[in-house]
Amino acid sequence: MIKKILLLFQRDLKVSVRNFITLYILVVPVIFAVVINIFSPGINDTTVEIVLLEGENPEQVEYFKQFANVTLLETIEAVEERVRKRDHIIGVLPDGSQEYFILTQGNEPDYIVDYVKNLTAFDHYGIGTEDSTAEIVDYGRDIPPLKKLMVNTAMIFTSILGGMIIALNIVEEKTDNTISAIHLSPVSRMGFIAGKSLMGVFVPVVSAFLILTITGFRNINYFHAFLMIVTSSIISILIGFIEGINNDDVMNAAGNMKLLFLPLFGCIAGEELLADKWQFLFYWIPFYWTYKGNDLVLSNSGSWLDIIKYAGIVLGISIIVFLVLAPRIRKGLE
Amino acid sequence: MKKMIKVENLYHSYNNDDNYAVNDVSFEIRKGEIFGFLGPSGAGKSTTQNILVGLLQLQRGEVEVAGYDIKHIKNKMFNKIGMSFEQSNVYGKMTGLENLEFYRKLFDVETREPMELIRMVGLDGKENIKAGEYSKGMKHRLTFARSMINNPEIWFLDEPTTGLDPAIAANIKDIIRQENEKGVTVFLTTHNMHIADELCDRVAFIVDGKIRLIDSPKKLKLEYGEKLVDVEYFREGELVKDSFSTVAGGGKDRLVDVIRNHEIQTMHTKEATLEEIFISVTGRGLV
Repeated sequence: MIKKILLLFQRDLKVSVRNFITLYILVVPVIFAVVINIFSPGINDTTVEIVLLEGENPEQVEYFKQFANVTLLETIEAVEERVRKRDHIIGVLPDGSQEYFILTQGNEPDYIVDYVKNLTAFDHYGIGTEDSTAEIVDYGRDIPPLKKLMVNTAMIFTSILGGMIIALNIVEEKTDNTISAIHLSPVSRMGFIAGKSLMGVFVPVVSAFLILTITGFRNINYFHAFLMIVTSSIISILIGFIEGINNDDVMNAAGNMKLLFLPLFGCIAGEELLADKWQFLFYWIPFYWTYKGNDLVLSNSGSWLDIIKYAGIVLGISIIVFLVLAPRIRKGLE
Repeated sequence: MKKMIKVENLYHSYNNDDNYAVNDVSFEIRKGEIFGFLGPSGAGKSTTQNILVGLLQLQRGEVEVAGYDIKHIKNKMFNKIGMSFEQSNVYGKMTGLENLEFYRKLFDVETREPMELIRMVGLDGKENIKAGEYSKGMKHRLTFARSMINNPEIWFLDEPTTGLDPAIAANIKDIIRQENEKGVTVFLTTHNMHIADELCDRVAFIVDGKIRLIDSPKKLKLEYGEKLVDVEYFREGELVKDSFSTVAGGGKDRLVDVIRNHEIQTMHTKEATLEEIFISVTGRGLV
């Protein structure tokens, strides 16, 4: 039976590579990874930007460059004009000898203004990081939070792509009317479903590992990652089957799969932005738990117990969905 | 002789009510027989066939195929049966050869060489073209070839020559005869009485879900055809038409006399066609 399941999977893989849409879906994760590498900020990148007058105080420029992005402009008018633009750039301009004033639009967050104010004061009094008596103790995490968020999201996203390919393959079987021919071979109904499902595991696992490798997450526990990826793909596989059964057109099936993006991005936004008291609103979404589990995997701070806990919750929710959808899937593939 | 298909009191309703698409159907097919299941569209032919191969669930009745009870279908049963569908169903994105190579690996029994089958149905030279680019007839032939890949003991053929040009249809009929000579039992579903007449050992007429008659085409023709010979001949320079009984008194002698003493223009036995017998028995046409 395993041989036949693998045979069905091989066929789907072969045909998927020949189809432009599915080939594109297979390549998308690599594009993601490259884009994440290009756009995600490094660990030492800062979002605080300061504009200074060029040639006015080169020592101050060097000092500020250690802690912020510095832009130099030739005239005071140019600096004023730059500060008026929409972003949160802060101007630091001379106000008589040894005196400086801070120029803002007025709508910048206080912490940015205070940060620049402190920098200006520290520079004035010649205080550097070496003057601090504080000892730094860290957890050794060297991944920028934004990059971790993007990689985490991309990993979950690949599971939806796997479901999408399943939907497209089912639509192909329906269009070619080949399901009846498979049913007249010694492949059981469950064997057929299992064979079709393998693409929904293969695509997320390979894609997610590619993303992890390309984006530099090479020292994490890959077994933890594997467990989270496989459990998160179950829900996408189920939806892939349902969309394949319900649609006779490739574009409709792919389009309807996009509905999964809503709970995916919704729960990530909720987890990142909402207070703890509102988190319960997302407990029903398996992607929410996958996101939390992946976060531990990517920060390399989760124990096996933590990972099994999150994978178990995702599996539990997926089993409930499976019990609801299984009769429809079986009937739809008759 | 061993029974390959046994059907007793088969009923099927698509809406699970008393409106039966198949209504109390019973028949048996012996090993090595070509059995024709004939009837107009919507008569219940495909429904019966789909129940026999397990594509439709058995609701009521007893069905045994190749020794397997259809109530509890075992996957092994499919090693013994093959089916050529009326609507071709091959993977359009795979070549003809890839379609057969893929399908053969699904079986647990010795299978036939895909290229042998491709040559058999006249698709050699086209085996590496994607099936999606095949014509309707080519797809139909590929579907037909695929149904033989596992050397089936029972071969279900649903309208095997529909849509094929006469030369290819003749080739398909030859293949069916050859396979049957090897001992393959054939269940042929069609509304084409000519192919049934040429191939079948026995036929069943089905209308409105009920079998009206089962017998061999030869017996049916003898029973329902008139035992007359129609002759057109010249008598004293004029063309004359006459009918002579081959059984009633004096008819044979008169026929011999006409043949001896007159120039014959045409002469036909008044043998009934299966189509005429079908209409006579069921009161319905075949369309």
